[in-house]
Amino acid sequence: MAVAKLEQLSQSVAQDPSMATGAVPTNDWMDIPVVFKPGNYAYPAKKDKVEYLDSQKGLHFPNAREWSPEDDDWKLPENWKEIIIDGLGERLEKFRSLKIFMDCCVRCGACADKCHFYLGTGDPKNMPVLRAELLRSVYRNDFTLAGKILGKMAGGREMTVGVLKEWFMYSYQCTECRRCSVFCPYGIDTAEVTIMLRELLHLVGVGINWILEPVSNSNRTGNHMGLQPHTFKDNVDFLTEDIENLTGIKIEPTFNRKGAEILFITPSADVFAEPGLYTAMGYLILFEHIGIDYTWSTYSSEGGNFGLFTNNEAMKKLNAKMYAEAERLGVKFILGGECGHMWRVLHQYMDTMNGPADFLEVPTSPITGTVFDNAASTKMIHVSEFTADLIKHGKLNLDKSRNSHVKATYHDSCNTARAMGLMDEPRYILDHVVDWVEMPENTIREKTFCCGSGTGLNTDEIMELRMRSGLPRANAVKYVEEKHGVNLLSCVCAIDRATLTSLMDYWNPNVGVCGVTELVGNAIVLEGETRGELDEGLRTMVF
Amino acid sequence: MKLEEALHNNRYKIVDRWVQYTLETYKASQFFTREKDSFANPIGGTVRDSLRKIFSLLIKNQETANYKEPLSRLMHLRSVQEFTPSQAVAPLNAVKHITRDVLAADKATKLLIGELYDFEFSVDLAVLAAFDLYVECREKIYKIRVEEIRSGKELLTDGACPSKALKNITDIKR
Ligand code: SF4
Ligand code: SF4
Repeated sequence: MAVAKLEQLSQSVAQDPSMATGAVPTNDWMDIPVVFKPGNYAYPAKKDKVEYLDSQKGLHFPNAREWSPEDDDWKLPENWKEIIIDGLGERLEKFRSLKIFMDCCVRCGACADKCHFYLGTGDPKNMPVLRAELLRSVYRNDFTLAGKILGKMAGGREMTVGVLKEWFMYSYQCTECRRCSVFCPYGIDTAEVTIMLRELLHLVGVGINWILEPVSNSNRTGNHMGLQPHTFKDNVDFLTEDIENLTGIKIEPTFNRKGAEILFITPSADVFAEPGLYTAMGYLILFEHIGIDYTWSTYSSEGGNFGLFTNNEAMKKLNAKMYAEAERLGVKFILGGECGHMWRVLHQYMDTMNGPADFLEVPTSPITGTVFDNAASTKMIHVSEFTADLIKHGKLNLDKSRNSHVKATYHDSCNTARAMGLMDEPRYILDHVVDWVEMPENTIREKTFCCGSGTGLNTDEIMELRMRSGLPRANAVKYVEEKHGVNLLSCVCAIDRATLTSLMDYWNPNVGVCGVTELVGNAIVLEGETRGELDEGLRTMVF
Repeated sequence: MKLEEALHNNRYKIVDRWVQYTLETYKASQFFTREKDSFANPIGGTVRDSLRKIFSLLIKNQETANYKEPLSRLMHLRSVQEFTPSQAVAPLNAVKHITRDVLAADKATKLLIGELYDFEFSVDLAVLAAFDLYVECREKIYKIRVEEIRSGKELLTDGACPSKALKNITDIKR
């Protein structure tokens, strides 16, 4: 009797047949249609944003309209299929990597269980190998001989509206974090497949607002939030007031100053939202402490580049303003703040897209004389490299005890760790400013788990999705919280600072989130300061 | 043999089947059952860990308050996954059926089934507590959403200094 009842219970629990029978489901996955319902998709881009972007020189965002993923009819252009297939063909020609990634997967399954979306959902289509297969099946069908002749038997699949919908669902359940590529024996980078899927979808007007609105804002005013120059400046000024209240030191940063030695660019989130604000205070304190000749820009006021999450052209255009502003102001080099995808763009694409920046010099620290040859070509260095070098040369007056209320751990942001290899510098800095511990080995450095909300997925309407894809990260934080009493999760990424805050609020509410430079700023002893006891460092409220 | 002893002796068998049953509610469950490293497999790890704890409380007829920690971990997980509320909570019920099954399969313990009333009552209480926790988690999600929207709204208006406005937002009540 009990057995029969248990079966009944399980029927009410799992009505759908289990699809996967091994690491790589081989059969029916292609035939199971996606269902869009509130909470599992991000809102489509607003018509006026798409129209605006499409009207801009060098950009192509067609088919602006009102539509919803929940509708049967997505109001695609009549010849949508032709557009997609031609678009794919064009990209196979243009990007050799895409062609290789389409051809060389042996379906070994090594990547299958490495994706945080799969680990948090159990949905087989979130296995990287299957995510790529969504595109590969169409590629096989239309671009390989076997597929053309054998169709489905050769793993080919005709491009249909159903397939397009699937692309939308699963290319926006990938944060392009590249964790899977670390484990692939062929180095297949599923992130690049996702990038292509999203590019192709934009060709027929399928995109999300949380990405296109920041892109259009950045194009218009220079930053994601659409802040105008005076507001941007007001915000930084407000932070200097806070610093004065806390330390008695009045800092007077400059904006758009021609002839400064260094241009400083950081994600705008650092100057307008908690907890990034404290990191921005850290930058201000650090630069004041060592007395460098630098300026902020209210035009190139955004380090982030959501263009990366749309298409090549938008990424290139938004990125171009950095060099343009550096040239206009006549600086020697660019110093970049704590950001993730900003560094992916800088490190991997900027030079070929908008370089060479001949008008700049190879970055040289004005304080230590260190020449940053690693940035000989891009002429732009990361604030953590810069700070680690200062510490190494004993140029910072640090009082670690000012962070004694903190037990930190460090989250490697996907982009800084996997896309630019910045792993030791932040750790070196932490060693000197705070008591901290590592999370488990298989969740850090190049194997780090994504915050779950990167690539423009940090929007609130998909909060449950973000919480489940962030589970692997949160789970490792929980471990160090329980074992070592960790109360602060540090990182060098502005998106992380925002998204990990929500993630921690849900999974580990006693753990806060901060930038590494916040901890640096808090530990710095400024000359002439009148700082009292600050129980919470730069976060202490003083009136 | 006493019931308590029988449950204790069979605890691994029962919990294993309970874990297996719960993990089968996920579409691609094989990996979740197989991989033992809880950092590589957080769903599997969380389910295994919390069910093990809950079972040891159940056989001791513990106060419901003690269930809160392991139940809450499980509900944090299942309330953000694609389950209906009943699907999210239902696997807890399964332990009743599994326990009966396991005891019935062995001659030495078969007769103890008649004494399961108290154990099953404890399961019922745990299920009810889980439902409260499920709703708590859902509310937390909405609060976090509201918090994000609120900070976002301030940012989109170009007037007042957003960072100043942010200072006024009180922390999420936890
Ligand atoms: S690890 Fe590489 S080769 Fe193996 S299935 Fe994944 S993408 Fe294909
Ligand atoms: S890039 Fe990251 S999110 Fe995308 S499939 Fe690979 S592991 Fe998953």
